[in-house]
Order: sequence, then C-alpha cells, then structure tokens
Amino acid sequence: MGHTVRDRLVVTNDTKYLIVVRDFVGRMIRQSRVTREEENKIILAVDEAVTNIIEHGYEPGVEGLIELEVEADEAQFKVVIRDSGRVFNPESVPNLDMGKHVRAGRRKGLGIFLMRQIMDEVRYRFKDGVKNELTLVKYSK
Amino acid sequence: MPAFQILKEKLPDGIVILTIRGFLDAHTFEELEKTIDDLFESGVYKLTVDLSGLDYISSAGAGVFIGAIGRAQENDGNIILMKPSANVKEVFDLLGLSHIFTFKDSREESVKALR
Repeated sequence: MGHTVRDRLVVTNDTKYLIVVRDFVGRMIRQSRVTREEENKIILAVDEAVTNIIEHGYEPGVEGLIELEVEADEAQFKVVIRDSGRVFNPESVPNLDMGKHVRAGRRKGLGIFLMRQIMDEVRYRFKDGVKNELTLVKYSK
Repeated sequence: MPAFQILKEKLPDGIVILTIRGFLDAHTFEELEKTIDDLFESGVYKLTVDLSGLDYISSAGAGVFIGAIGRAQENDGNIILMKPSANVKEVFDLLGLSHIFTFKDSREESVKALR
C-alpha cells in the first residue's frame, strides 16, 4: 500500500487568508512526493484558484466559505476546492493571448492561464449542495 | 514583519527605485498599484523595481506590472525589474512575460537601461 496524506482547510472569502492557504498547501506538499521545483508552482496554482473565488464568487460584502481538500499519494497531488459562490466554470474561459493582454494593459484573467500551465488536470464540476467544485491535479514524476 | 513592504528612493534624471519585499498577491497588489499610479501622476515614468526581497508573486502582482508598463513606455519611460528570486522569475516565465520585461542584475545596469 502506498502512503497517502490527506487534510482539509476551510477559509472565508477574504484575500487575507491567501497566506494561510499557501502555508497549508506548502505543508501538504512537503509531506508528499512533489519535488522542490514543483512546490512553488503548485502553491501558485491553488492561490490563483482561491483568488478567483474570492474576487468573483461572491457579491461584495457577502461572506462565503472556501473548502480545500488535499489528497496526495504515490501517483499524484490532488487539491479539490469547493465553494458556494456564483457558478463559474473556468473551462469556459479561452486561453489568452499574452501579447494582446499586455498591449491592452489588462491584468485580469491570468490565473486560469497559470493553473492550466502548471497542473496536469484542471477539472470543474457543478455539484448539488456545494455548487462549484474545482479539482487540480499534478502527477508525480 | 509586515506581509508586504515598499521602499521608494529617488535618483537623479527622474528615476525612482522601488524596493518591494514580502508577498505580492491579491491581498497586497493594490498598495503597489497605488504607489506606481502616484508616481505616474507626478510625472515619474522611469522605474526600477528591486525584487530581490520579494518572496512570492501571484498573477495579481504580475498584473500590476502588466497594467503599468504600457503607460510608462508611452511616456518615454520603462519599468526595469531587478534581481528576482528563481521562484518569482519563474512566474514571469510561466506567464510568457520574460521577453516583455527587461530584467537586470544590478542597480547600475537598471539605471543605465533607463537613461
């Protein structure tokens, strides 16, 4: 039987908790098979996912919960992020043209691009009772 | 130590060096955005940003530079990024921004690139 590590974290939709989210993911990574060079990137991908929920998921002033569940084994490092905010499917967002983005001085929409660059799987599903469930997976090398 | 810190230093020839430290993310980027906007408002468009003390950057942080570089260049200025750590530079690489921004290893080289 392979070694599996599992833990969860719940934060409210406030950017001040991003640092808590990053610490949590970093701690889980260090207990997993993820290599040092992948650590910063996976932390970044999760930060981007949670930032998107904080910025777009809930109406201003409305408090909401964001749940992160990490499960890591020999084969992969998986993070499932659940929230009950506005339905938002990142799979519906087309890949961006960075040249155009910079010329227009646009600074939004980079998070999904990064998640796709970094993770091997970025899956979204709408789940009854939870609403949004985003799964990010990085395979072990 | 605060999560994010900005130090501002004025040099001759209308050049300003911003030294940023800590974590530049969706929680802290507005502080940097406001600092750069205020510099633009006061007519300063030549900026060097010392990233050597920056521990972490997310796309919200990189977005500040994306939003500002066009305006700096339109006004005969630029934004030179100095001494990013490997983790911070990696984020610019992942975003495909490394060929859009100029990176320098020293203050002298950065200032020279702005003159």
